[in-house]
Amino acid sequence: MSALRQPIGPGALSLGLLAATLATGVLVLLPALREAAGPLPVAAFDHDRMVLLHSTLPRLVMALLCGAMLGLAGALLQAALGNPLASPTTIGTDAGARLALALAGLFAPALYGWGRDLVALAGAGAATGLVFLLSRRQGFAAVSLVLAGLVVSLYAGALAGLLTLVEDRYLAGLLIWGAGSLSQQSWEPASGLAIRAALLLPLALLLARPLQLVELGEDAARGLGVPAERLRLLAIALAVALAAFVSASVGVIGFVGLVAPAIARAAGATRVKNRLVWSAVLGGLILLLTDLLVTLLAGPFADFLPTGAVTAVLGSPILLWLLPRVSRGSAPPIKPSDPERARRRPGRGALVLALLALAAFAAALLLGHAPGGWGLATGAALEAVLPFRWPRLLASAGAGALLGLAGLLLQRLTANPMASPEVVGVSAGATFAMVLSVFLVGAAGAASVTGAALLGSLAALLLVLVLARRSGFAPERVLLAGLAVNALLDAVVVVLSATGDPRAIQLLGWLAGFTANVSPGSALVVAAGAAVLVPLALLLQRWLALLPLGFPPAAALGVPVPAARATLLALSGLAVALATPVIGPLSFVGLMAPNIVRRLGIQAAGAAVLASAACGALVLLVADIAANALAHPLQLPTGLVASLVGAPFLLWLLQSRKAA
Amino acid sequence: MKAHSFRRPAHRGAAAVSLDDPQGRLASRQQFLEGFQSVGTRQASRRAVLAGLAALLAAPVLPARAASLRVAVLDYALAETLIALGLPPVGLSNARGWSRWVVEPVLPAGTVDLGIDLAVNREVLASLKPDLILTTDYVAQQEEALSVIAPVKRLTIYDGSAPALDKAKAVTLALGDMVGLAAEASRFLAETEADFAGRKQRNAVAGRRPVLVLSFMDARHVRVYGRPGLAAGVLDAIGISNAWKPETNLWGFETVPVERLAQAGEADILVLDPVPPDALPTLQRGPLWRELPAVKRGRLTVLPPALMFGALPSARRFARFATEGASA
Repeated sequence: MSALRQPIGPGALSLGLLAATLATGVLVLLPALREAAGPLPVAAFDHDRMVLLHSTLPRLVMALLCGAMLGLAGALLQAALGNPLASPTTIGTDAGARLALALAGLFAPALYGWGRDLVALAGAGAATGLVFLLSRRQGFAAVSLVLAGLVVSLYAGALAGLLTLVEDRYLAGLLIWGAGSLSQQSWEPASGLAIRAALLLPLALLLARPLQLVELGEDAARGLGVPAERLRLLAIALAVALAAFVSASVGVIGFVGLVAPAIARAAGATRVKNRLVWSAVLGGLILLLTDLLVTLLAGPFADFLPTGAVTAVLGSPILLWLLPRVSRGSAPPIKPSDPERARRRPGRGALVLALLALAAFAAALLLGHAPGGWGLATGAALEAVLPFRWPRLLASAGAGALLGLAGLLLQRLTANPMASPEVVGVSAGATFAMVLSVFLVGAAGAASVTGAALLGSLAALLLVLVLARRSGFAPERVLLAGLAVNALLDAVVVVLSATGDPRAIQLLGWLAGFTANVSPGSALVVAAGAAVLVPLALLLQRWLALLPLGFPPAAALGVPVPAARATLLALSGLAVALATPVIGPLSFVGLMAPNIVRRLGIQAAGAAVLASAACGALVLLVADIAANALAHPLQLPTGLVASLVGAPFLLWLLQSRKAA
Repeated sequence: MKAHSFRRPAHRGAAAVSLDDPQGRLASRQQFLEGFQSVGTRQASRRAVLAGLAALLAAPVLPARAASLRVAVLDYALAETLIALGLPPVGLSNARGWSRWVVEPVLPAGTVDLGIDLAVNREVLASLKPDLILTTDYVAQQEEALSVIAPVKRLTIYDGSAPALDKAKAVTLALGDMVGLAAEASRFLAETEADFAGRKQRNAVAGRRPVLVLSFMDARHVRVYGRPGLAAGVLDAIGISNAWKPETNLWGFETVPVERLAQAGEADILVLDPVPPDALPTLQRGPLWRELPAVKRGRLTVLPPALMFGALPSARRFARFATEGASA
């Protein structure tokens, strides 16, 4: 194999990994092997032997096989797209399979065998197709593809979470499956998956040579008679099938498909064929080693720890490591706002939005379910429901305004229309800290949770700041850093959920953003926060107007850049920290509101601040009305309902943005 | 729970039953809770709980006007206890899932569904004009919002302060006391203990094999129930040995892959419904499962649903199934 002659060499690396794997394997298997080699026991049922033969061994094979298939899938995607960030995890394939199988679990629970595979395949294919459709205009640019993948993943995850919360809170099997457990009880799944792999593997190898040609240059390939488009499509379809089959048999194993090809490439596998082969080898070994380590470290009596969640926790930071490679080469940077026609009187637009938000507030106060059905409440009936409606609506409006503001600040700061607390990972950071405070400290009081959220969002912002400083705030770097934080949060939530800890349900509730029973106190705090921070931002409108020009020009025009940056970051961090405990990290309002405002042509900084806040409030109020009207007496989580609107909006935005 | 949660909302009519002046009970409740908090070891906990109970029982209680007391509940365990005491709740969160997870006692048809327990519908709740709202630690973040409607009291069985069955007994008495049905609660507790004692005798005579109690999560993973959970407590009380020895989490279960069941050896297996429809057929195709002694000898029983995170009614339901099988 030519790759063996490479300087570092994926072969040598694989041998090293193999040695480590074997050593761990011996440690894991030794007791059982010694038992099996000894004299046959007298007992009729030799459980050690049975477990070794029908559980441990197929599990090892399964780990190798799944890892290899995912590694291969990642390498295929990366070669077909010329994108080092592509993988089943990052382009939405896994999430699609996860949602499809979740739906199947609810509505057709008896599905197994090829039926399950087909469902997973349909979901994975649909999600991936959507991602491609959305990033087509950008020529499948690395960053826009992965951003679309992130959004589709978040959306699918939000839907699956909503199903779990509403349909069946005891649906723990779904959570386990989502976490990707490799445990096996017979050879049947492994042999079934092996057959599927054997069907797909030759196809992948056949594609290696033509893909190499495409990589050398699309025109050259076309000259040689290689239909580049069709070839890419085939490679992607193959990768989706590989990932979907793995998902159907063991669940979601995150990030192996990203990490294995990255390591293969770093170790010196340059040609497509080498990359495919070594990604499969390395993927298999990585997953096997991880699984053995999980088995070894978890021990027979420790808490249940699904391997897929572990790979996700370990693998998501790898995204950060991969970032420098992307921002320098292939990715066309996301350009600041397309020249929208600026409104001549932006203040009037802001006023209209504010009036609409007020109208929505009033409507939501009056409209609702009454004993007689859905409708307007008046008189005594209104008096009876007002104490329940106003805190909810005030909190929604306040959180929406805060997120709209935070989104605008971040977008002005990074000169990037895709920046928002949700995408940049600030919301995830806040949630992360809230989770830690509940699980580690055990406190669930509103004050401590908000405090934790503040620390978390500021920490996430600092992280973004540090990462961004080196690249002078290269927008794509900021976004992808956020993506990695989001993925890490998701992985941790999955680990917690899989153990069946009921606190995980509470956590899901948080992520979902239930506003229904916000206490009047919290509602007032959120609203007061909005009432203070929005005017504060208005005072800074000069900075907001100049910073999008870039830091050097802004500095030349007299903006104290470091101070301005720190102030604006702190302001948006505070806004997110106040809003997140109420509405959760998934609402997408921080992304939607400033973009709607921009589409409306409101560009003057001061008007944009007001309009973004008003628009954020409006969006969450409308979502709140829907959340309370749709499934009476259930009050759906407002944050999730907003994201069900917000995510498609984001996708539309991604799609309609013109290629750079 | 601080006393301020007893504050009555000004807009409520005079028809409500008075829960004011709970001073005596509060004092005793405090002692009772301290009983839980002061325990360090499991051995000590039972004594401490009983001491707390004694203090509770000696305390003055509300006059028995329970028939008119309207209670809304955010927890199945508390709801089934109320039904057992003869005071079915007027509203219950997740009521639509009752027939799937609890089944017995039957939820009266008039019980109103309050929606998702993490965010109960306060408009619906208020329209029921409850006199008392019961919560647990898991839904506690709504307490401030709920206290606008009626006094809120929190009673948590699954908080890890004591084994679930002991805590369920204590909560039953505390709840009875709280709603003016102390006598009924004591009677129900005595009845339950007598029931368990009777079963213990019968099981001793029958010479029962150890059992493994589990729920299927999917075709590869189960929850297996052990100490300090409700099922384990019941098995101890009715003299059946639980084959799952490791300590589990405070809800009394551990999620394990199916192959771990092999270590339970000759134990009988009790599976609680609902079982995912693909689980047993899938497992049947593998030798590991087929060769499990219980499966091989047909000593696996699928039992109707019984809430493993319930209180005494669920405990008794499970005790019945564990003793007499699915047909009980």
